[in-house]
Amino acid sequence: MKNFRIFLFSVILLFPLAIFAQQTVKGNVTESPGGAPLPGVGIIIKGSAIGASTDFDGNYSLDNVKSGDVLVFSYIGFTTVEITFENNTTINVVLKEDAQALDEVVVIGYGSTKKEDLTGSVDLVTSKDFNQGPVISAQQLISGKIAGVSVTSGSGAPGEGQEILIRGLGSLSLTSSPLIVVDGIPLNDGGVGGSRNPLNLINPNDIESMVVLKDASATAIYGSRAANGVILITTKKGKDSEFKFNVSSATSSYVAIDQVDVLSASQFRDLVNSTGDVDAIDRLGSATTSWQDEIYTNAIGTDHSISALGSALGVPMRASLGYSDHDGTLKGDNFKRTTAALNVTPSLFDDHLKIELNARGMYTENTFANRDAIGSAVSFDPTQWVRDTSSIFNNYFAWTGTNGYQLNLAGTNPVALLNLVDDTAEVRRLVSNAKFDYKLHFLPDLTTTVNVGYDKSNSNGRKVTSEFIPTSDTSWNGSRTRFNQEATNKLFDAYVTYKKSFNEFHNLNVVAGYSYQKFEFDNYSYDSEKEEDGNDFEFIDKSENVLLSYFGRFNYDYNSKYLFTATLRADASSKLNPNDRWGYFPSLAAAWNIHKENFMQNGIFNELKLRVGYGEVGNVNGLGDYNFLTRYTGSQSTANYQFGNTFYQTFRPEPINEDLRWEVGRTYNIGLDYGLFDRKVTGSVNVYLKETQDLISSAFIDPFTNFGNRIDKNIGDMQNKGIEFTINVVPVETDDFKLNISYNVAFNQNEVTNLPFDQPVGGISGGVGNNIQVHTEGESPFSYLVYKQIYDTNGAPIEGAYVDRNGDNIINDDDRYIYKDPYADVIMGFNTDFSYKNWDLAIVTRANIGNYAYNNVASSTGYLRRATENDVLTNLHANYLNTGFGETTEQNLLSDYFIDDASFFKIDNITLGCRVDNAIKDVALRFYGSVQNVLTITDYTGLDPEITGGIDNNFYPRPSTFVLGVNIDF
Amino acid sequence: MKNIVKKLIFVVAITFFVTSCHDDLNLSPIDPDSFTQEDVFATANDAQGALAKLYAGLTLTGQEGPAGQPDIADIDEGFSQFSRMLFNLNVLTTDEAVVGWGDPGLPDLHGMSWSSSNDFTEAMYSRLAQEVSFSNSFIKNATLLNDNTDVQYYIAEARFLRAFAYYNLMDLYANVPLTSEISTDLPLQSNRTEIFAFVESELLEIQDILKPGGSNEYGRVDQVAAWALLSKLYLNAEVWINEAKYTECVTFSNYVINSSYSINTNDANGNGTAYDELFLADNDTNGAQNEFIFALNFDGLQSQTWGGTTFLVHAAIPGGGPAGWDYADFGVNGGWGGIRTTKSLVEKFTSGDQRAMFHSDGQSLEIASIPPFKEGYAITKFKNVDTNGNAGSDTGGDFVDTDLPLIRLAEIYLNYAEASLRGGGGDLGLAASKINELRERGYGSTAGNITSGDLDLDFVLDERSRELYWEGQRRTDLVRYNYFTTNSYLWPFKGNVLNGTSVDQFRNIFPLPTNVLSTNTNLIQNTGY
Repeated sequence: MKNFRIFLFSVILLFPLAIFAQQTVKGNVTESPGGAPLPGVGIIIKGSAIGASTDFDGNYSLDNVKSGDVLVFSYIGFTTVEITFENNTTINVVLKEDAQALDEVVVIGYGSTKKEDLTGSVDLVTSKDFNQGPVISAQQLISGKIAGVSVTSGSGAPGEGQEILIRGLGSLSLTSSPLIVVDGIPLNDGGVGGSRNPLNLINPNDIESMVVLKDASATAIYGSRAANGVILITTKKGKDSEFKFNVSSATSSYVAIDQVDVLSASQFRDLVNSTGDVDAIDRLGSATTSWQDEIYTNAIGTDHSISALGSALGVPMRASLGYSDHDGTLKGDNFKRTTAALNVTPSLFDDHLKIELNARGMYTENTFANRDAIGSAVSFDPTQWVRDTSSIFNNYFAWTGTNGYQLNLAGTNPVALLNLVDDTAEVRRLVSNAKFDYKLHFLPDLTTTVNVGYDKSNSNGRKVTSEFIPTSDTSWNGSRTRFNQEATNKLFDAYVTYKKSFNEFHNLNVVAGYSYQKFEFDNYSYDSEKEEDGNDFEFIDKSENVLLSYFGRFNYDYNSKYLFTATLRADASSKLNPNDRWGYFPSLAAAWNIHKENFMQNGIFNELKLRVGYGEVGNVNGLGDYNFLTRYTGSQSTANYQFGNTFYQTFRPEPINEDLRWEVGRTYNIGLDYGLFDRKVTGSVNVYLKETQDLISSAFIDPFTNFGNRIDKNIGDMQNKGIEFTINVVPVETDDFKLNISYNVAFNQNEVTNLPFDQPVGGISGGVGNNIQVHTEGESPFSYLVYKQIYDTNGAPIEGAYVDRNGDNIINDDDRYIYKDPYADVIMGFNTDFSYKNWDLAIVTRANIGNYAYNNVASSTGYLRRATENDVLTNLHANYLNTGFGETTEQNLLSDYFIDDASFFKIDNITLGCRVDNAIKDVALRFYGSVQNVLTITDYTGLDPEITGGIDNNFYPRPSTFVLGVNIDF
Repeated sequence: MKNIVKKLIFVVAITFFVTSCHDDLNLSPIDPDSFTQEDVFATANDAQGALAKLYAGLTLTGQEGPAGQPDIADIDEGFSQFSRMLFNLNVLTTDEAVVGWGDPGLPDLHGMSWSSSNDFTEAMYSRLAQEVSFSNSFIKNATLLNDNTDVQYYIAEARFLRAFAYYNLMDLYANVPLTSEISTDLPLQSNRTEIFAFVESELLEIQDILKPGGSNEYGRVDQVAAWALLSKLYLNAEVWINEAKYTECVTFSNYVINSSYSINTNDANGNGTAYDELFLADNDTNGAQNEFIFALNFDGLQSQTWGGTTFLVHAAIPGGGPAGWDYADFGVNGGWGGIRTTKSLVEKFTSGDQRAMFHSDGQSLEIASIPPFKEGYAITKFKNVDTNGNAGSDTGGDFVDTDLPLIRLAEIYLNYAEASLRGGGGDLGLAASKINELRERGYGSTAGNITSGDLDLDFVLDERSRELYWEGQRRTDLVRYNYFTTNSYLWPFKGNVLNGTSVDQFRNIFPLPTNVLSTNTNLIQNTGY
């Protein structure tokens, strides 16, 4: 900062020396804080097309500069600097990092805008703010970074999918995850089989920025696909510069830190000895086996990537290759991924035609360790040895009957489950698009854009179960299944953009367009057992749907002070009947840049913007393709019916709903963006209300009126409301030292506001057909519906004693009550970035408050009878020691005793990095070490409080991860 | 000018392209398992597949077998099979069975404390109403093919199956909507008198349209099925419509008795009785088929379900394979350790009666607590082995071949006797001789024979239990005798009390499911619920 002043001062001192001729100016651009050279900074002469960019060392050279020209130095994420050229041939510039630069360009649907001109609730996270460390999937990059956006991994498996919820749960049974758009291509929301996470497509190193559109005034341009928000991913592009390379490499070590708390071998032995009958005691083994130790292990992962960007033959391009290989902590789990991306951005006809070509390919090889071992390891008798030489099952211990085969109701040896099942899949995905922006020669204010995209996924998988796996089937000789799945998404977008300023202050930007998307899937599967039985053994499942849309956006602003946006999208989906097929989704928003008013000019505010927006969005994502048609389903050969000596294929009429309409969400949003004290304090506040009407959900119907007792139907309404607050503070900033603290908090409440009758949901294990959750009017969706446990004076639950809430002296369904829900009331993120000279330290923490989880592991495995029933021994959850429960019953399973407060505070990530510039000539290095899943503070009694959907059962534990990595730029 | 032309061409081209895509919105299924109405009812021959679904609707649970693409939602697919639910509602609620599993709502059945949101009462309602919907739709579509004589039979069979569904709905729920056409309009509630009249008139009408007795292929019903169902209907008329129809019962029972059907007397496995053959894997060929007027056809390979006889075989044997049990005797790979019987059934038999197919070794007669499988005698009536002792077709031992009779001739014999005793004008001598046919088969000798003087109503009821236990009949019988809810007859854990207790009379019928009531506001809940 101080240096920069001196520099500016010297620029001014040199002013008189200017001579009036065209000259060459050279110089060097560095960043502050840190003072590292900044490559790729754009330098142009204001009002001209003449420009250059800095090379790897931050040096530039620009010809044909005249005295009085204004040089504009700009780089994303840094404050733009303008310097008037006064014949000084060397201009060195220091660019200051700006966390939320107002002139940052933000991608929005079908276009982009300056951050300052935004009217909706939009968050931008650029690569420098991404989470560091062992990031395999794109979603992890923004976990904890944005108020109101929760990212939860499905489990601790490598490459696992991540559930993203924006502003809470948006739908009862349709998709609740946001639309993800990569460089203008809206992706399929589902993946293909054998894939762990559809977004594994993208190497996180290729991502330049992620923009989250949260309110409907911002998302409505995506209409029916945007009901749950939109995440726009922009990948890194080529630059008009020399080629530069980046190599990065990291090694991760996964440490299995969590196990379900079960009885130890000696505890279990004592229990059986004291409570079991003679037969049960006889069955006790002599071993001390921790089955969870047997199935979990520490694991290793590596990531490598290389990228090159620059321009060849005047065409900017970027290419990258990435490779990851991660083992899971469940023995045998492995994820290998190769990604490749190519981006070419030629410009033709004096930049009138800009072409952007993107191709991204992914190839993953998954080896899925058999997750059945997780539940089995919790329950398997710890007094048995893993191996038993008398076993016919490859010497794996098994509970066998007199014929040597496994007993029908016995659990299977977890180690055998892991070792004797081989489940692998390869997934390929290619997403490519070609985008043409053509600025008409006869009307340069009008740009025509055509974007053609193709997204294809293909997977092949197979599962081979050994002939030696313990089984009760005396004729078992192993089984093989395999599948091949293909999903295709074709896109054609065409739109025109008209951009014009009138009378200096009136700015107009109008977009109108058309979009066509076709989604197809085609799945094949094979089953060797069915083939051996002489049945149908090959199955095909295929379908397709089309989404056709028109959209328009009208932006007007007066001197960037008063901003107004209106959008309209019309969507037609082939999933709906022709009469209800078209949905119209409008939005309106206005914003006022208060800081631009004269009366604010001398205040502390660098930014103060008030935004008000309203928008409507639709949803049919996740709905079946032909609900409105009369269809018959033919039976498979295992469900045929015998007349005489012939088995006939049967034809069943399918439930039909001719009246399905769009599920429509209406969002109201008021927001305030602020920046203070030279933007050392920035942030925003948003208040929103989202009302979703005509919710589509599977609903009970009178079975006399249709061909089943449930159809997908528009049944009710719900709302989400909340407040989000973000603050980012830079308390200290010198050339050597910078501290950046950001905090975001979101309060959200989901409520079903209209539902004619309750919908039980949330199936649990332990008995067939139990549901622990319900959708009911006036409560959160997925609220727990439970019996109220009665406790003794010591606070221990009394078995079988529940509150007779309606006082009819019978404990039955009518005594269940609503107690809590799985969604957090408050979600917080707290991030600290600290840099000193070439060292940097980042700490990412998160907290959820008010989320409750149902401990299904404890409820279904923690009762005494289980230990010795079915003529085998079965281990118990250690919670048995607290409860002493003897039996499991429906009421016991559905007791509120097992609903736990799962609020938590997590230190997600700590990363320490060190940068070495010019380690070798023209080579910059950055070393870092990172720890992920560092610490969890919670009262939750189960394995991990962060459980998607709230029902905790057979959870693959999230490991702690230690990473060492290096980034090399040259 | 040139620019304008260019622009115009551009606009026209885009418009043309864009609007041509509108047709793409009209898609139809491309899945090879998906068919249109035109496909399914293209010819009489094709329509057989839709008819097969009407039979499969009572036999299987979905289009994949054993599970997958279920017909009924909200319940585990295996539980949703018709005869398994009939067992739950008509057998488990009585002295004939207890179950050790704690699945929601299941213990309430024997305990007679079911609520209107009970999963099994709801699923049975859905299953039967769906059967009515399937039949209504089939009748409408098949009528368009009506020039074919085969189609005439199909339609008559569909009408029989619809009448059978309504017979059960009337028995179980009494006051359900009567629909003969499928419509999305919410139907109005009907009472037993209306449904009785419908079932009666349908059966009377189709008796001469259905194929003559014994002339249809195995698995499809003929004329005798209509008579047999009328016999059952009239036997219960006094309870259901408050009007005795015993004379009619005797008449139609007589038709059945004199029909081509005969009691199986072929002791194919030579164990001393021809009774057990009725419940073996080859009961579609070993002679038993001659007795089956209406049976559900199961097959271990091609008609798989977790209900039906697969349930009756597996659930009745213990899971742990304890001493004294050999799964090979049952032709399956193991037991599910669920259902047993109470001493009330066991004690109805006298020694020598080989219909008493109990496993008492290691089992206690008395039940102190319902969950443990060891309490209460196990029942070995249903097996997946043929007369030679060989296991059924599924070598994996999961799915059972044994067919399940829903109406067999023996029942009609007993109907005849009971209706005669209740004033139907039958011949008690004939009744006694018919019952002796059953007893001679059971004893393997005349040792258990009776005379017409031994015949009284209680004897017939007990004989029904001895002959038909676990065949889905018991609750209806007990209701007819007014024993089901009252303290005139108690059994272990009736009303969830160790020695049994009476329960409220309203439990003679089941509640309309809560979900149905909240969907169809035309319906009023049965009294008491």
